Formats: sequence, C-alpha cells, structure tokens
Amino acid sequence: MSRPLERVQAAFAAALDDPGAVAAFAPALVARDQRTAERLALYRGNVVDAWEKALANSHPVVRALVGDEFFAALARAYGRANPSVSGDLNRFGDRFAKFIGVFEHTQSLPYLGDVAALEWAVHRAHYAADGNKLTRERVAALPPVELLSARFGLDPACACVVSRYPVARIWQAHQPASRVELPDSLDCAEVALVVRPHWRVEVLVSGAGEIAALEQLCSGADVEGAIAAGLGVDAGFDFPRALVRWLDFGILTEDPVGQGDAA
Amino acid sequence: MSIEPDRNASAASRSGIGIGLRAPHYAELLRRERCVDWLEAHSENYFGDGGYDLHVLTRLRERYSISLHGVGLGLGSAKGSSAEHLLRLERLVRRVEPFLVSEHLCWNAVDGRVMNDLLPLPMTRAALDLVTSRVAQMQDILQRRVLIENVSSYVRFAGDDYDEAGFLNALATRSGCGILLDVNNLYVNQLNHGVDAAAQIDAIAPRHVEEIHLAGHLVTDLAVIDHHGARVDDAVWALYERALRHCGSVATLIEWDTDVPALDVLLDEANRARHRCNRVECDRVAAA
Repeated sequence: MSRPLERVQAAFAAALDDPGAVAAFAPALVARDQRTAERLALYRGNVVDAWEKALANSHPVVRALVGDEFFAALARAYGRANPSVSGDLNRFGDRFAKFIGVFEHTQSLPYLGDVAALEWAVHRAHYAADGNKLTRERVAALPPVELLSARFGLDPACACVVSRYPVARIWQAHQPASRVELPDSLDCAEVALVVRPHWRVEVLVSGAGEIAALEQLCSGADVEGAIAAGLGVDAGFDFPRALVRWLDFGILTEDPVGQGDAA
Repeated sequence: MSIEPDRNASAASRSGIGIGLRAPHYAELLRRERCVDWLEAHSENYFGDGGYDLHVLTRLRERYSISLHGVGLGLGSAKGSSAEHLLRLERLVRRVEPFLVSEHLCWNAVDGRVMNDLLPLPMTRAALDLVTSRVAQMQDILQRRVLIENVSSYVRFAGDDYDEAGFLNALATRSGCGILLDVNNLYVNQLNHGVDAAAQIDAIAPRHVEEIHLAGHLVTDLAVIDHHGARVDDAVWALYERALRHCGSVATLIEWDTDVPALDVLLDEANRARHRCNRVECDRVAAA
C-alpha cells in the first residue's frame, strides 16, 4: 500500500543528495521545468544548513578554531559521511570528533578531534540529568572517620576527556569574557574535567590523581579507597583540596554509584 | 481507541495568544510578570534528561500554559518512523503536561536516515492511510489528542487525491486528531503553487481546528521561503481574520525562529493577533 510512497520518498531523498538524481524524481511533481530543480536545491540547502547549525551549536570552539568557512565545509563532509539518524538535531554531532580524527583535511590540526570530543562532552553535560548534589554542609557534618567510609556518586553531567593536547585550556580560552590565555605550546597533555555546578557547564584542568579518585568513587568505592587510588597514580594527590573543588563544582552526589560516568 | 480532548485544552484553546519560547528570551520571561497567554516550546529542545532548558521550561510552566510543538517526528515517512523519538516525546509530555501537543504533516526519513526538514507529502490516499496510522500510534502512546499542522512547500506533487484542506479534514475525522492551521503556510503555498489560500481556509472543517500559527515569510525570485524571520504579512493577517470568522477564536501562536527579535516585538505581534480576535468576536456578538 505504501510502496509507491516509499519509492517517491526514496527518489526525493536521492534528489536532495545529488542534483543528478533530480531528473528521475521530477516526474512525480507538478512542474518539471528548471525552477523545479532550483526549488529542490532549496531543500538540499536546508538539510545542509541544519547540519551546520546543529554542529555550530554543539561545537562552537571547533568552529572558532577553524573559521566559519572551513567549518561549513567540515559540516557538509561530516553530514555526508555520517547521516543524521534522529529527528532531534541535538544528537547529530555524536560522531563529529571521530570524523575530525580521520578526515584528511583536518590532519594538520591533530588537537582538533580532542577539542571536538571535549565539546561533545560539554554538550551532553548541558542536557544531563540534574544530580542530587552533595553539599559542603553535609560533608562538614560528617566526623572524619565517617567521611573516610562514606560512598558518593558522581554528578550525571560530569565527564572527563584525556588528551595529548591542552584541550581544557583551549576550551576555557574560547569562552566569552575568558581570562584564560591560549596555551603557548600544544605539546602539553591535559585531562579535562567537565562539570555543571549550577546550570552552566564548565571545564576544569584535572590530573591523573583526581580522575583515579573520582573513578573509584563512581565505581562504588568509599572515600578512603578513592584517596588510595588517587595517591596510587599521583604521589602529590591532595585529597582535601580535591574535595573542596568537588563540592564547589557540584561533582559529587548524595547517591552512591550515581548514573554518572567518569570515563 | 478513542482519545478524549484534554480537559484543559477545550477551555484554553478556544482563546489566547501564545509566542514561541526561544532561548534568547529565557531570562526576560523568567524575570517578567506573565506577558502572554501561553508559550510554545519546540519539543526536541527539551528532550534532555535534565539541565537548564528543561529547568527554564519547568519554571515557566508555573506561570504559563505550554504547548509542545514537535519538528522531528516525520509522521509521513514511509520508512524510518522512530519509536525512540516518540518515547522521548512521551516522557516530556508527562513532565510538562502541555495543553496542546502538535506535529507536522510531513516526512523526514528514508531507511533510518533523517533529513532534518519538513518535507512535503503527496496528498494521496496512500499517504493519508500512513499518516492516519502514525497519528493514531502517536495518540495511543501520548494518551491524548494531538494537532497536525499543514506545512509550506517549494514543490508540489502530481496526481494528488486531495487538496490540503481535504487531506487534513479526512485525517482529523479518521484519526481523531485536531488541526493546527498555519495560515502563513497556506499563503506561502498560494504564492509558490497558486493554491487559493482563502478557499483552503473555507474548506477546512472548523470543528477540527484547535490552533492557528502565524509567522513571517521571505519573498525571493525563486520561491517564497517560510523562514519565520519577519513580522506577519498584511495578506496573512487578512487570511487570519478569515480563519477566525470561519473557525472561531482558536489559540493563536506567533512564531519567530530566524534572527529572533526582542521579546517586545513578539508581544507586539501577539497584541495585533489579539486585536483581530477581539474584533472578530465583537462582530460575531453584534451579528447574533
């Protein structure tokens, strides 16, 4: 019953992909003049514009780094290689970082894929569930022994991105009214920690000790286990300082083994 | 299964002017007293598990009736209907308890590949069968009546069995859905394809129409573009009055998506719509 409709839509889609396929689709339409091809090109333009807008929304730093014109071309190439699979354009950029990593025209910018991965983590954090955040007061009320045996969860917005490049500072430097300077050298590995203290997502420069400790916490370990894990990879891991930061940035939740994932 | 119209809908939808909720206006809408009857949110922008957008919508829900307007379901896609999208919408509907839920008479996918646009359907019996079953499924899952909106288009299919009004009337009768009549889209199609917008309005069955959309368009040499980036055109205002006289004072939305202006510009457009509603009501009372 819907077979002809299926065929009509397949031909329509083909004409949007390729101007060469317009002639095969045109007989389905009322007017078959030159204007038909131009009007189909309006739809073709809409589809590409939607890709570019969605990616510009999720990856503004990548766009600032490569410029609007290159970004538009990058969006087109990505959309062709990775067709949208959802009516929700907020999900369109999920494979953008991977694409940048292998796309031949971005190979001269080796850090760009990691910046894109960080921006996707930021984008996801923006829409993440609202965690039941652990407060300073709650922690202050705990006797030290109880604190060591306490188990907490990780805020659902929290994520980390490990890079051979200073991606956290690159991201920070591109924020409106930022006081962070772009790093002098790209030859500096960084761990970026994505957090959402209130409603706005922020990116912190993190370290191996902090990430190891958070990973322990979100796999169900108690605070003592988390401290041991932090010290295990970084002898200089400063737990009291890390805890203050975790509370300031709403990284911990009341719920042990939360839905968050540090990986 | 038959779906009863939402109880709130029948009271609220017979009157009231709404505006589209856009992120640049969040702060001002949260700060100001209630300044319009209702707000329309694009459903997909609030599909997240949480976060700021959903927080703002929840706060504004305390002050405004909310209409959820979907742009991504592509109900008329022969292949590529998304159950997951519908479930996300269902979750949002449960959270927000909107007074209206609407989607477009269009398609957007082939074999699971989505073209994120509102693509026109041939107005055929086969398309009507498909959309009727999709709307029925949507209403089953959402457990409520939904409204379906006519779209503007740049191309028109040969061999249609219905005009737009006929298709929408049949869809509403068969599925029990309501009609969201986009007057600007009718006018854009008049300019693009020579379809008589006034005749289409007259042909719509008034009992199905629960909402009207108004927006600005852009005239180019090639085609009229439904870009939602300008004030409502005078010809569209005239058609709006015609629709009000035909359907009664239904809920009306001012849409603006491109180059979103200051909130006051939208409120000014909303007041123009209200003024016309009032005029039509006065005429109706005087004639009675």
